[in-house]
Amino acid sequence: MSIGRTTPLARTGQYLLLAAYVVFLGFPLLWLLSTALTSTRDISLGATSLIPTSPTFENFGDAVRRANLVEAGRNSLVVALAATGITVLLSLPAAYGLARFRTFLRPVTLGWVLISQVFPTILVIIPLFLILKQFRLVDSLPGLTIVHVVFMLPFSLWMMIGFVANIPVDLEEAGAMDGAGRLRILVSIVFPLLRPGVVATALFAFISSWNEFLFALVLIQSPEKVTLPLTLSRFVGAEGQVQLGALAAASLLATIPSLVFFALIQRRLTSGLLSGAVKG
Amino acid sequence: MKHKLALAAAAVSVALAGCATSTDNGGNEGGGGGGDEPVTLRFQSLAFQETTIQATKDIVSAWNEENPDVQVEYVQGSWDSVQDQLVTQFQGGTAPDIIQYESAAMSQFAEQGYLADLSEHLSDEVMDAVSDDVWETVTYDDQVIAAPTLLQSYVVFANRQRLEQAGVEIPEGDTWSWDDFQAAAEATSAGGNNKFGLGWGLGDPTATMMSLGLNFGADYFEGEGEDVSIDVGEAELTLPERIHEMVYDDGSLDPVTLTQSGGDVMPGFLKGRYAMTVQGSYNAQTLSESAPEGLDWMVMPALEAESAAQAANPQTLSVSAQSEDVEGAAAFIDYYMQPENLAKVAMGDWLIPASSESADVILEETGGENGWDAILASGEHLTKAPFQSALSYPQWKDQIATPAFQRYLGDEISADELATQLTDGWESVSR
Amino acid sequence: MTTTQMTSPPTPPVPPTPPDKAGARGRKPGRLKGDAWPLLLPALIPIALFSVYPLLQGIYLGFTDSRAGLNRVTHFTGVENYQDLMGNDLFWSSFRIGMIWAFSVTGLQFVAAMGLALLLHQDLRLRWLARTLSLVPWAMPPVVVAIMWRLMFDPNSGPISTTSQALGLGQLNLLGSFETALPAVIVVGVWSGMPHTTITLLAGLQGVDDSVHEAAAVDGAGAWRRFRHITLPELRPVIVAITSLNFVWNVNTFDLIYVLTNGGPGGRTMLPMLFAYNEAFRYGNFGTAAAMGNVMVVIIVGMLLFYLRSRLKETKA
Repeated sequence: MSIGRTTPLARTGQYLLLAAYVVFLGFPLLWLLSTALTSTRDISLGATSLIPTSPTFENFGDAVRRANLVEAGRNSLVVALAATGITVLLSLPAAYGLARFRTFLRPVTLGWVLISQVFPTILVIIPLFLILKQFRLVDSLPGLTIVHVVFMLPFSLWMMIGFVANIPVDLEEAGAMDGAGRLRILVSIVFPLLRPGVVATALFAFISSWNEFLFALVLIQSPEKVTLPLTLSRFVGAEGQVQLGALAAASLLATIPSLVFFALIQRRLTSGLLSGAVKG
Repeated sequence: MKHKLALAAAAVSVALAGCATSTDNGGNEGGGGGGDEPVTLRFQSLAFQETTIQATKDIVSAWNEENPDVQVEYVQGSWDSVQDQLVTQFQGGTAPDIIQYESAAMSQFAEQGYLADLSEHLSDEVMDAVSDDVWETVTYDDQVIAAPTLLQSYVVFANRQRLEQAGVEIPEGDTWSWDDFQAAAEATSAGGNNKFGLGWGLGDPTATMMSLGLNFGADYFEGEGEDVSIDVGEAELTLPERIHEMVYDDGSLDPVTLTQSGGDVMPGFLKGRYAMTVQGSYNAQTLSESAPEGLDWMVMPALEAESAAQAANPQTLSVSAQSEDVEGAAAFIDYYMQPENLAKVAMGDWLIPASSESADVILEETGGENGWDAILASGEHLTKAPFQSALSYPQWKDQIATPAFQRYLGDEISADELATQLTDGWESVSR
Repeated sequence: MTTTQMTSPPTPPVPPTPPDKAGARGRKPGRLKGDAWPLLLPALIPIALFSVYPLLQGIYLGFTDSRAGLNRVTHFTGVENYQDLMGNDLFWSSFRIGMIWAFSVTGLQFVAAMGLALLLHQDLRLRWLARTLSLVPWAMPPVVVAIMWRLMFDPNSGPISTTSQALGLGQLNLLGSFETALPAVIVVGVWSGMPHTTITLLAGLQGVDDSVHEAAAVDGAGAWRRFRHITLPELRPVIVAITSLNFVWNVNTFDLIYVLTNGGPGGRTMLPMLFAYNEAFRYGNFGTAAAMGNVMVVIIVGMLLFYLRSRLKETKA
């Protein structure tokens, strides 16, 4: 579609449309930022504006103090990092196995990926709660980590299988002919080539776990174990207290880690993966 | 390959063997308390105003100093999530030992067997300082399932200046009639300019309807436990109809506020947009703290129609039946209920203490300023309402009553339809 | 179909065409000899234990009277839950809302994302900005997305309401009033679903062979005709996959609504997942909640099969 013959009028239309998208996608984000920088007084007087007249950072202090952000942030980070690490460690060999060996588990795994998307979480979460209770993993961060891992695994596997399949088997066979053992082939040939795949899977896992809400809502009850989404959702209601500024500040702070994580690999992700993804 | 598969299957089934279907509850292994080892009890508090949180923590640390063997740990909970949280906590065996909530919701947990009977454990002084009417709200199956701590009444806050400008006579008596109240709202709203006589945060209307409805003799329910029937008649419909009238006929009540919470309406009152606002008494705190200089606010006398009665739905403290030291937990509640302590918490929240001695302490300390006299006086009108004994009330409130009242107030359904929905809905949830 | 082999999804929810479609370069699975079990077990055991087993258990729970309570015994009750559900108006009204929500969000997501993907596929200045912005919602916790839109919709200080007041149209409480609550949350749903839909479609677009386009352009086919007759047919597999997945995810939405409206006002935004959650974790009726889940699954799977079959037929025709 990008070939010549675009009239100036059409171009203008395209830019207008693009601008509309930028506003739709970007304005709420800006508004969140401005609210976070506006004092409680100004907000209650309805004096929030896109560019705050007298920006203040008091909301951030308030948010940290009132919304239990530090502790919740630490919990979120611990769970997300642990879940990410475990997910990658488990899905790497499994994906290799599924991509390279003939086994009935291949269709089974792919089937499970689909099934796990269709079944509503509510169906799983009640018995899961009862099972975790038997293992004394209710209201515990390790319990939540396990659940996150388990529910990210199917998709991680699916992603990773694609990456493994993209590595020509010939490379491994060449290595084998040179007399390298299976393990050496894996470590020195396959894994390095899989790095983009690992990055993508890790990114997916981290963000999914960091953002996850429903499992945390059901499984975590002690205030010292809550994760960020949980503490934020409770901060929203805080009994008729109009604290929009602090709420916005807390939300921003809670989003930063996953945004940073995302920004770090976004470039590689879109350039490397997108192009790699499309070439057949 | 085959034997490996069998091995794997065996491993999985061994792992699964531990997971039975039953939803029963483990817990409760600690046995009775009072032994040699000091126990630590978790106290899940729902305090949310900073003053109350501090007052509560002070009580906890004072207790901990006096009772080295029974240590209490303060755990912060939240009103918004407490219902779901308690269901999962009880079910997961991780419930706190001392639980704060409200009486109307506790009968559900009592029925499920999760609450300890406190009747043996509370001191006579504490029992005597609270009226029998209020004790009744926390009695289930002849067991005292909670100690009532603080009560909320609905009060009218008014902007004196706007009332006077509109020529409204400031009532002198102990009560204020609904007719005068409605007339005052109409008088103060006749100015256009997006100003209204009344802002009323009825986004979650059921509690208000159940409580203020008693003014008109609306008792909705009859019976106790699982055997409760509903009757929505003229008495029950009067309050919703009056509110409806103020919005759609008088134009004195701002319709936007009907979808908001009480707290959301406060800024409008502070800005002088509303001459009056009906609120839970605790919002006096917002006023005393953030009312602008020029705003001369006051608490009006209790509203009265047939009576000035409102429903007593006290905040409560209960002990989990699975606690390892029920006696110690109850002793802490007894300590919390001491007049001085309860007064501190009540003053933090601007709520009415269930204990009369405690109310006296507050009156003395505040001198009745900042509306305290009117707020404490409104406590005398609080009585037990039948909805508290209805087991399925919480579900009916969420799923039936709140949407139905919202629809009626939003002018989507008629009063007759409201009555039908409330009645049929009760039959479907209480099945 | 093999032109769009998305082996490496840029965002997780992208459905990669199963790798074995890529046969061309000799990447057929199963070429290596040996045993895959040791590699697979560490991943499969936790899945079996904490995912497959609970799911089966959950399905079973839907046929019992499981309820919250101390030492309460659960009985098998057969289809009793389903008979009760048939007469449960609240559940069906919630289900209807869920369908309106899922269809509108999926449809609008598709249209909006397709438009954006087409623009991003052009050589426009500032498209990096739009592309980055279109990805950001994915990195945000849904709870934060919901909070952000609550600020947008706030009747007192939100920009939508203040603009309306400035224009003399009065205060707007979009999330609070009956008519607008569902449309308002649908907008939020579309916003938060933009990233993966856009990127998936963009990846698909980049896989469309440019030379066919050029040929058509030379033949004098206009942009719209080229889109209709070349791009859309080429994209069909991607479109079917992403809309099906979006639909399923949208039916199962929970966190956005929980924070935005919690089902209010008057139950107007009570999506079925929230309804079932309340049934289980507010009122303690686990059996009934699981039964609701079962009913939902059956209906969703039915709809999906119908959709996929009709799409496939179209492709063949």
